[in-house]
Amino acid sequence: MKDLFSQSPDGGTQTLDQQILALFRAKPGGVVSGEELSGVLQVSRTAVWKHIKGLKALGYRIEAVPSQGYRLVAAPDLLIPEEIAAALVTRRIGRRVISFRETDSTNEVAFRLAEEGAEEGTVVVAEAQRRGKGRLGRRWESPTGVNLYCSVILRPPLLPVKAPQLTFLSAVAVARAITATTPLHPFIKWPNDLLINGRKVAGLLNEMSSETEKVNFIILGIGVNINMRRDQFPADLRHPATSLFLEGGEEVSRLAFARALLEALDALYDAYLVDGYGPVRKEWLALSNVLGKRVRVTFQESETVGVAEGIDEDGALLLQLADGRVERVLAGDVTILQAKG
Amino acid sequence: MDVKDIRSLIKMITETDISEFEMESAEEKIRIKRGSQPEIIHYQAPPPMAGFPHAAPPQPSAAPAERAPEAPAVAPEKGKAITSPIVGTFYRSPAPDAPPYVEVGQVVEKGQVLCIVEAMKLMNEIEAEFRCKILRICKENAHPVEYGDELFIVESL
Repeated sequence: MKDLFSQSPDGGTQTLDQQILALFRAKPGGVVSGEELSGVLQVSRTAVWKHIKGLKALGYRIEAVPSQGYRLVAAPDLLIPEEIAAALVTRRIGRRVISFRETDSTNEVAFRLAEEGAEEGTVVVAEAQRRGKGRLGRRWESPTGVNLYCSVILRPPLLPVKAPQLTFLSAVAVARAITATTPLHPFIKWPNDLLINGRKVAGLLNEMSSETEKVNFIILGIGVNINMRRDQFPADLRHPATSLFLEGGEEVSRLAFARALLEALDALYDAYLVDGYGPVRKEWLALSNVLGKRVRVTFQESETVGVAEGIDEDGALLLQLADGRVERVLAGDVTILQAKG
Repeated sequence: MDVKDIRSLIKMITETDISEFEMESAEEKIRIKRGSQPEIIHYQAPPPMAGFPHAAPPQPSAAPAERAPEAPAVAPEKGKAITSPIVGTFYRSPAPDAPPYVEVGQVVEKGQVLCIVEAMKLMNEIEAEFRCKILRICKENAHPVEYGDELFIVESL
């Protein structure tokens, strides 16, 4: 796989690169000697030198300090396991990260890995996607080096009928990551579009493999426009789109965002497995932009107008109609008509 | 043979007195029966690892003389229903402009994708759990389906 950047090894061990970086980071600003590196890592000085060279090629700035050793000056904002894992505090998600310079679609890679038995929590990230996937064959614009494209493998012990609840969980996780890394206030448009100032900033596409009574695995596909510039958006978008940079006016560290996202997913998923859907729904409702508003939901040729009251166990949008009845809407595109009253 | 051909074949047969028509070639076998509904043997989820229950063996077809007058002319069919595991929207193809995953009469391999059922932006690719032939597609594209709704009637091969 020539496009493969780097991947963390199976079983939670660290690569040599990760170990070298950990040694540098244990001494902030300090110098680590070649002897120390080769001694601790139990490899030759030549091997150390080769790995330092490899890290430089990835974008790390490592200086040779004459007769003392090496110093790590700066790390790149690259979505590679060496960096994502460096300060990641999660239980399941991101324990294994596989990153690509470029791939067709992280969801496709993750789906294939999951079919081959990849463990829960495995994360696939890419700097760019050739065919970023949207719903029903649509495309997700995936220019290189500016955004986050990632797919997470989950194997929840759930009946397939419950699985759509994870759609709401991943939307809440993205909202948490935005709040943690920017001063922006995201809203969720039912069921899982992330909006900032009315424009879409993230696209979530989840895929499931299941049997009648059992989920084999679920892929949470998450694309977030982080530092994308205006001219990188195509002209023919279905909905107005934006990036965290365009809304906040400042670049956001993609690594910090990726870590915040994986940590939010991990914490939410952990809680979901113990406490169920209730807490996710509550947080989703607090982030929703439709609650209490009059909305129109269009699904193919049909449309329903009502006041959004909430979501139920299936994630269905509950609309109070003009005659007082409450209708459960299972699919469609929501437009806000006006605030109630 | 595609859906259009089958449709015209059915039309042709309905204009005659023929009650049953069968045609077989190397790749496909078409059987059209008029009148009463064929009996469908529903597929039930097996316990894990148990494999699939087999449809009841076909009954020897009764000669017309032996048939009770009120009994409908039902020939048991080796049909199994593939049902929806979730509430959602049924899609026959991966994209609106893409060809359908499967057509009636097509033989599909184990693991081959038959359709997508989408629920809350969760796309569930429904795969054939065994090698089979599609006898009937029970839902229309982009229509809602309930949990347990029949999506396909297939013949296990």
